[in-house]
Amino acid sequence: MLKEILNKFLIIKDVQAAVVIEENGEVIESIKSGIVIDKNLGDVISTVMLDSKDTAVHFGNATLSMVFLEYSENFLILGPITEEFFLVIIAKNTANIGQITYEMKKNQDAIVSYL
Amino acid sequence: MIEQLPEGKSIGWMQAPPQWIFTHTVRFVGVVRIVIQDGEGFILIRKGVPLAYYFKHGRIELKGHSALDYFNSHPTIEFNLCKYTPEEFAQALKICHIDEQVAEAVPEEPRPGPAERILSPSPASTPAATPPAPAREPAPVVMQLAVKRPVPGPAAIPTEPVMQDEEPPVVPQVPQVSPEVMLDADDIKIIGQIKKLNGIVAISVFSDDRNIILMGDVEIEPLLKIAREMLATTAKITPRLDWGTFVHMTLQIPEGNVIIAPYRDYHLCLLTTRTINIGHIRRILRDLQQNGGPQ
Repeated sequence: MLKEILNKFLIIKDVQAAVVIEENGEVIESIKSGIVIDKNLGDVISTVMLDSKDTAVHFGNATLSMVFLEYSENFLILGPITEEFFLVIIAKNTANIGQITYEMKKNQDAIVSYL
Repeated sequence: MIEQLPEGKSIGWMQAPPQWIFTHTVRFVGVVRIVIQDGEGFILIRKGVPLAYYFKHGRIELKGHSALDYFNSHPTIEFNLCKYTPEEFAQALKICHIDEQVAEAVPEEPRPGPAERILSPSPASTPAATPPAPAREPAPVVMQLAVKRPVPGPAAIPTEPVMQDEEPPVVPQVPQVSPEVMLDADDIKIIGQIKKLNGIVAISVFSDDRNIILMGDVEIEPLLKIAREMLATTAKITPRLDWGTFVHMTLQIPEGNVIIAPYRDYHLCLLTTRTINIGHIRRILRDLQQNGGPQ
């Protein structure tokens, strides 16, 4: 199940949420700890997703590999899974970003198989 | 003359309007080496006071006011700030035939400035003899440099060829550096240090309406367009997140990364190769924001 795969992210220290989201902002699946995934956060993710896709076009229509957005307390990593689906990880800034991105790449195919 | 000047200690190459040099060198003693197309020149500066202007293109030499006018005819120029020791500076004065005592007494005005008096225009730099080619060029320097030097790494930054076909401006307008634009030698040093890191293709400090400094051979306008779009995204979402202050946003594409981050009253934009260590960049950006520079 998709939730089981997303749980692999949640067990990484200081990761607060793993979300599979469609380009239109619809949350397909999510798993979280100590954070609320409400409409506001969904809108934020959707904005980052759509704006970044548009911005990447300026690189000669380059495909977006990843977006990393960091604040003093939390960060967000957004990576495309397929054309329309994205995996979003939200974590405290003390989380290990290398481990997160490694797990994102490692589990991409498994996530795709559930979509 | 250029070859005879002491090398000095390079702080770094950058692109900026010529006026920027005069407003940001109040503590600088050395030579600003300028490259415009195939020609090169310099401005000898002591603490914001230009003492000599010189430019050479082929066999044509421009000195004093003529050289300054030529620099000012470009919206941006590419230059290298090279710091001099007192000994090197004294040697440079000698090479430029500047009397040290005269140089000490000159008023602190970039223009008309002492350079005009000290290096009087040679016959070659009179208006009749001013070279037509370098004095009026069809496109801004940034665009021409991009043709000569392909962007390493993220080469996909598109060019905007529209400028190539435009008529050369009869009186080119020199962008003015707004009074609030203040970066000192320490800022430039820090930015130069970051530029030297492995994997950094270019680094720019920019404000909402202009590029302030660029180090690296890239076209600034397409890069800033991307950076400003990223800034617009953060402006939309930051008020909606309770995650503290904004540290940076990184956009990763197969060719590399574009990173934007706040820097003093401005913004920083980094263009990097894909192989760069993001963890390293995060540390640098945090240091910049917390302590003012890489530790």
